[in-house]
Amino acid sequence: MFSDKSIAVTDEKLVIPEMKYNIEKVPETDRVTQFLKIFAALLKETNYGSALELYTKVSAKCAKCTTSCHVFQATKDVKDIPCYRSELLLSVYRRYFSLEGSIYARIFGGFELTEEHITQMQHSFWNCTACRKCVLECPSGIDHGMLTHIARYILAEMGLTPRALVISTREQLQGETGNTSAIPLIALKDSLEFLEEELKEATGEDIKFPLDVEGADYIFFAPVSDYLMEAETLMGIAAVLHAAGVSWTIGTKYFDAINYGLFYSDLVLGRVLRKMQEETQRLKAKKVLIGECGHATRSATFLKTYWQGEGCPEIVNILQLTHQLLREGRIKLDPTKITERVTYHDPCNLARQNWIVEQPREIIRAFCKDFVEMTPNKTENYCCGGGGGTVSIDEIRKYRTTISGRKKAEQIRKTEAHYVIAPCANCKKQIRETMEDNNVDGELVGLHDLILKAIVINK
Amino acid sequence: MEDLLNFAKGPLFRFSFAVMLLGLLRLFVLSLINGFEAKKKAPDKSIPKGYVRKLTWGYLFPIRAFRTKPIYSLVSIIFHIGFILTPLLLYSHALLFSESIGFSWMGISLSKPVADNLALITIFAGIILLLLRLTSKITRSISRKQDYLWLLLLVVPFITGYVCSAVVTEPATYKTFLTIHVLSGDFIFIFMPFTKIAHCILLPLSQWVTARSWKFVPEAGENIEKILGKEGQKL
Repeated sequence: MFSDKSIAVTDEKLVIPEMKYNIEKVPETDRVTQFLKIFAALLKETNYGSALELYTKVSAKCAKCTTSCHVFQATKDVKDIPCYRSELLLSVYRRYFSLEGSIYARIFGGFELTEEHITQMQHSFWNCTACRKCVLECPSGIDHGMLTHIARYILAEMGLTPRALVISTREQLQGETGNTSAIPLIALKDSLEFLEEELKEATGEDIKFPLDVEGADYIFFAPVSDYLMEAETLMGIAAVLHAAGVSWTIGTKYFDAINYGLFYSDLVLGRVLRKMQEETQRLKAKKVLIGECGHATRSATFLKTYWQGEGCPEIVNILQLTHQLLREGRIKLDPTKITERVTYHDPCNLARQNWIVEQPREIIRAFCKDFVEMTPNKTENYCCGGGGGTVSIDEIRKYRTTISGRKKAEQIRKTEAHYVIAPCANCKKQIRETMEDNNVDGELVGLHDLILKAIVINK
Repeated sequence: MEDLLNFAKGPLFRFSFAVMLLGLLRLFVLSLINGFEAKKKAPDKSIPKGYVRKLTWGYLFPIRAFRTKPIYSLVSIIFHIGFILTPLLLYSHALLFSESIGFSWMGISLSKPVADNLALITIFAGIILLLLRLTSKITRSISRKQDYLWLLLLVVPFITGYVCSAVVTEPATYKTFLTIHVLSGDFIFIFMPFTKIAHCILLPLSQWVTARSWKFVPEAGENIEKILGKEGQKL
């Protein structure tokens, strides 16, 4: 635990902690050629060229994006202006890959890619949490989040990715345990047994976590860190599915919904999703159910892209399913159990494009008496500060909680809520740490943690 | 001066107008092609239509703009309206068109006092935009040369046009201002497709192209590994 709590949100003087993450291996020679070679390969194979071509032409440099960036609003550093960051990549594209730009450069000279420029990109694109709130403000329609995504992908091919993410992904794809938290199957089974006992104690019911059931309606993938850190969320989910009589299962060969590929590499994104496909097909499940997690849910929607062969199943987030079960009257929630004030944090990957916004609110209103919104909320909500994979980088915790998380801490403090609901593994870890480091009162929970307290199970 | 004016009004105008039209058309068509190519390469054809539509209309008719930086947004919108309407609906421009091309829109043109005032408003809006850009550390730090130069260039035909219409009467001075007016207009046309002013034609497509680019090509990741000679390598 961090003992130093000197930087509170309300403090006038803000010390910006160093934002420097560890990488595994520094590329040896000539990073400029490497960068351009990878960029060229990317443009040849992917669809990003269409967007880059357009963005280099329309960018008007109006700085409206500054009004929505939680990082810039904390640091006030021009290098944190989304448009400034995007220009780091756009200038490379314009100079080397656009027709007009390369002709202009041959005649008049101008920008050249340098080692320093790459170093700047290497840090800048990880200061961004890829929350895409600035996209809503850009009158030119530039998706700064996509530029962060592309730049990180190129940097990843050079080995310039935070070590924490690479190690987790390596374990998930090539390791013995096959998941990002390196939980051995035997440990998973143990902890599930323990959770079943806890559920028995709490509800008096035999609620199971069904393993390897063939032909179930739903195969459930939780962000695997939930098995270590968010037991109550998982118990809540199991209770809901049990109460409604849903047929579901967890696969023992692969059970991790986390996909860091969404944050730094389409190669990783695809490889992780193929593991998900194999497990879904092995157990002949009809639909894919993702636990409380924003990026895991959004990355799972890319199954439609990476699924090999026919028959890609529907991808459902647990909030959507619980909402449907509640509407159909298949679960009952006791409205007298949660009397404290409750607020809800919208995970960017669920809410930014107005995808899963109203469902959780309907669930909350069904059993929480005192629900208050943060301002702004829904599609316009601020990022928790740990988006884009940055939450997993422990060496930048101070930066995350005092700079990126500053806005979120302010928002939460204003609601004076006792329970802060964040239905996302990333947001949960980040907000918990942010509240701790900024001395914000309240308790961070998942939505199903609260549902567990209020669910009525007919015996 | 007479020759220069005739050149600017005649061959140069036709050339610059053609560059603008063809240049902008080329950008629009290329972006459309890029968008459809992306659609073809991605197996997932769905895009969040409601979101794309909302943002596209929201900026073509900037009802969303006032939520942030309201002063800048208001001045910018006034500038855009003035910049599009004044030259397009000016009676003298319509007359010129009807003389040289044979069709025109004189029936819906603006009356002289309205056009003069609109020109003045546009000039002031342009100057305020320039001042806003210069006085803020934030915008200064992201501005390129063209971001300042465009504002300066764009107000030149408005200032000279206004002077010709409402200030000078002496023929020689009038001719000088008119020549600068036509020349600056020609230059604007020529530069439009090659600079940020291309947004005038590309804006309706930007949200759609973005949504299409977020649809990935499944084999891209592995193919990139092949190109980079990293095939089969572990992470």
